[in-house]
Amino acid sequence: MNGSSLRRQLPHGLTDLFFEQAAAKVALERILEHIFESWGYRRIILPTFEYYDSLSTGASTDLQEEMYRFFDREGKTLALRPDMTVPTARVVGTKLYDQPLPLRFFYIGNVFRYEEPQAGRRREFTQAGIELLGSGTPEADAEVLSVAIAALKALGIHRFRTNLGQVAFLKAILKEANLSNGELSQLEQAIGHKNDTEVDHTLKKLRLTEEISHAVRAIPHLCGGIEVLEEAKKLSQNPAALQALDHLAQVYALLEAEGVAEHVIIDLGEVRSMAYYTGITFHAYVEGLGFHVCRGGRYDGLVGNFGRDMPAVGFALGVERAMLITKPQIRLAPDIIMKACRHPACHALAAKARSLGLSVEIEVLGRQGEELIAYGQAKGATRILACDENSPTNYLLTDARGSRWLSRQQLEEEMASWTS
Amino acid sequence: MDKLTVALPKGRLLNEALALFTRAGYPTHYTNSRRLLLDDETGSLRFMLVKPVDVPTYVEYGAAVLGVAGEDVLRESARDVYEPLGLGIGKCRLVLAGPPSAKGRNLRLEPNVRVATKYPRLARQYFQEQGISAEIIPLSGSIELATTVGLADLVVDLVQTGRTLKENNLIELATIMESQAMLLVNRASHKLYFEAIREVINRLAQALAR
Repeated sequence: MNGSSLRRQLPHGLTDLFFEQAAAKVALERILEHIFESWGYRRIILPTFEYYDSLSTGASTDLQEEMYRFFDREGKTLALRPDMTVPTARVVGTKLYDQPLPLRFFYIGNVFRYEEPQAGRRREFTQAGIELLGSGTPEADAEVLSVAIAALKALGIHRFRTNLGQVAFLKAILKEANLSNGELSQLEQAIGHKNDTEVDHTLKKLRLTEEISHAVRAIPHLCGGIEVLEEAKKLSQNPAALQALDHLAQVYALLEAEGVAEHVIIDLGEVRSMAYYTGITFHAYVEGLGFHVCRGGRYDGLVGNFGRDMPAVGFALGVERAMLITKPQIRLAPDIIMKACRHPACHALAAKARSLGLSVEIEVLGRQGEELIAYGQAKGATRILACDENSPTNYLLTDARGSRWLSRQQLEEEMASWTS
Repeated sequence: MDKLTVALPKGRLLNEALALFTRAGYPTHYTNSRRLLLDDETGSLRFMLVKPVDVPTYVEYGAAVLGVAGEDVLRESARDVYEPLGLGIGKCRLVLAGPPSAKGRNLRLEPNVRVATKYPRLARQYFQEQGISAEIIPLSGSIELATTVGLADLVVDLVQTGRTLKENNLIELATIMESQAMLLVNRASHKLYFEAIREVINRLAQALAR
């Protein structure tokens, strides 16, 4: 394929946004920014590409394979960021380790993954999320989940449920078995499918003790309300496993106090990305979309890779996925389309309208009369103004009621009521 | 949401699947019409009849809450869904087969084994695990013909009784996987309609245990 045939194309998995879609995306991002800020989170702005060595820290092999990689002129490997959590951990571990804790950051930025586009998520997509660093308490976990729930509600999404998992429970149970990462991911996959036969098969292959196997077989079914924690407690005497359950119970109680527990369903069988997460994990699911719209969890080991270790928890929401479910009301049409002569009075009138918060589009193609009105209607403008070139203090106003002549003073008086 | 949607595979598995749902308390009157949507008589489920290989896709995207698909189709599709129940129907095996002369050949020593299959992902995975350098030739049907006409040395295909292989003068060389029909559940729906889905799973499990 030669260069010219690609000139008019986009690589697979990319898109352009304009008109309502672009405006809707920014509108959603503003809502999210507002929610994050209202919980005390402050923006972090991160580079789009970094050294591959940084970005691949703690990443699963899948994510490593999905990274876009390239070289700088010294032959060092660079990569486009595939998420925002690892770069945030790098900043905190290398630069902010002596700041008062905890740190609360939010980000809204594009990430890049070489994967098949799916449900609004393309190869470049926008993540909006938060990280709460320096606290390992149930309060921190509950807060992050509460912010996620608040964000969904603020987006106008009300029919959703969030699963709440705790990978520390299974990890504690498996600790004495000393599985390799490969073995762990086989087990993770079988449990993640909730497929009893596959779990059995994997357990046999890994030759785990009967006590561990019994617990692992039960885990995919530990899904439901708070009562599943009682069942889970019967599965292990391992203190770390019991502590993990107790921690989860505390998170759930805090969510009840927050009044959001109705949106939460406990699923101890949710163990995906076990190598990365160390404690609670969650995914939010919305009616009408088969995929999670946001995902988060605790990742206590990550920051330590970059310097001083500290516990951390966070979540990320896929903005394009959210756009599939929620459509903010977007009005692109200008409030006023104005044919202005070169008289300063005309420009002063436009400036006055803008100062009132109205959007004013000046006609630059020289259209007037019926032609201008037709253009204004095609654009959906509420009002069309045309000055009388011989006497720039008189204006012809066309709106839903028709056309009429007004003096400049009358116009300015009327304008104040146009903003509502 | 009132009815849970269930994607069922058109073709040989359909009647068995509908019979199983009937035994579980979701009876239907299916008269082999061309209808692609079908409600059960209790009004709890809506069946959608789709091509077998498409069932995992419908379920992953949540276009169907539940689905019935063979493990062979499911693994080949690599779709991310729950598969909480083996349904005991549609039992078959995915096998490596070839002409009788292929028996006893050490495939690891051959530089390029050509294999025709409807299951390119599973075949590739199998040969990689076995340390065999294989060239996978994806086909969408009549796999058994591929060796006869010299398109491939071997085939990877489904076997139920083994009759088709025999009629085409092929013998089984290895079993790659055992397969049965599984109940699939969309991940999001599993959380959103947890109680309703658990009811369906339990009733199917009881029907299977009877």
